[in-house]
Amino acid sequence: MSTKKTHYPEIPRKNLGPGWWLANRHYTVYMIRELTSFFVTAFSLIYIYQVYRLASNPGTYSQYLDTVRSPAMISFSIVALGFTLFHSVTWFYLIGKIQPIKIGRKKTSPLLALGINTVFLVIISFAVLQLFIVGK
Amino acid sequence: METDTATIRVARYRPEKSEKPYFQEYKVPYRKDTVVLDALNQVKAEQDGTLAYRWSCRMGVCGSCGANVNGVPKLTCATFLHEFKGKSLTIEPLANFPVIKDLVVNIDDFMEKLLKVKPWIIRDKQSPPEEGEYKQSGKELDRYAQFSSCINCLLCYAACPIYGLNEDFLGPAATALAYRYIADSRDQGKKARFPIVHDLEGVWECTLIGECSVVCPKGVDPMLAIQKTKILGAMEAPKTMLSPETLKAILPRGGE
Ligand code: FES
Repeated sequence: MSTKKTHYPEIPRKNLGPGWWLANRHYTVYMIRELTSFFVTAFSLIYIYQVYRLASNPGTYSQYLDTVRSPAMISFSIVALGFTLFHSVTWFYLIGKIQPIKIGRKKTSPLLALGINTVFLVIISFAVLQLFIVGK
Repeated sequence: METDTATIRVARYRPEKSEKPYFQEYKVPYRKDTVVLDALNQVKAEQDGTLAYRWSCRMGVCGSCGANVNGVPKLTCATFLHEFKGKSLTIEPLANFPVIKDLVVNIDDFMEKLLKVKPWIIRDKQSPPEEGEYKQSGKELDRYAQFSSCINCLLCYAACPIYGLNEDFLGPAATALAYRYIADSRDQGKKARFPIVHDLEGVWECTLIGECSVVCPKGVDPMLAIQKTKILGAMEAPKTMLSPETLKAILPRGGE
């Protein structure tokens, strides 16, 4: 007697569609974190370009001031600042997740890394500001 | 104990009857200690014997009862019904895998990846049993202990969008297990495993979404294992780049 096995088709694996990152809050936060890199890069590039122009032609300083004071540039800077802060905070937190430090038997919480890095960020930003003010 | 009734919506796929998957609703009695798996068992025993799903231990050890519960990968034996009181409850097969029947998915892809990372201790030379066991300190054990708790339930693969987008990605559990051995002081298999974990579809595909670690029911942190593997690989890079094998492969070879 022969027994014949029937093989039925499987439902093939579904590849994720373009809207996958809206499926849950963690994915969305991740996507925003990735998107913030665009603003960080754009702001840095614009800034480097402006410094480069100023350095090669100091006479353009008043022109430079006009550009940075324009409403478009101010709005862009505010948006870029918001995204850069979000970018820094999420990465500071991730540093703590990836490299927790062991103190005794306990591992440090990622929040500690976030806290310490934020303090450093404030100190360094303050120092840089001082440098500019003193340099003036 | 007080009994309530819940309606569960279960994804069905019965290729012998119909090509199209569909949802079926069941009313199940539940108490405070009823888990989703109990509900499925109740349905199978009392209402509909055709329902197919996997389970074995009923206590979060065997890793076979995973399903997407309201879109989130969970062990059905560790998910209580009362948590969904007043909400709808939809049970679907684990995402990112082909479906064989109802809640049963095909996990061949993972089984291949698991074998690929050689999840066992590799020694250059086995020492004879008379020489005794390979000793390990508590500190050395700590380095990999959490990663050895993986039960291969594959919730992490169902939660990982990178795997969802690219089936070839080695993925969270396989890397966590690879790292479990790489970090084991008794193991000498780094050379054999590095080409696999640092392959183009290996750890470098991971972009730190971290959902694998969120859904893991055993407290394993696969995202951490992946990043640690990246760090080890980056530290090895200069050595491998300057190794005679690499140099031989990339330098022009005279008249050849
Ligand atoms: S039945 Fe074993 S883990 Fe759920």
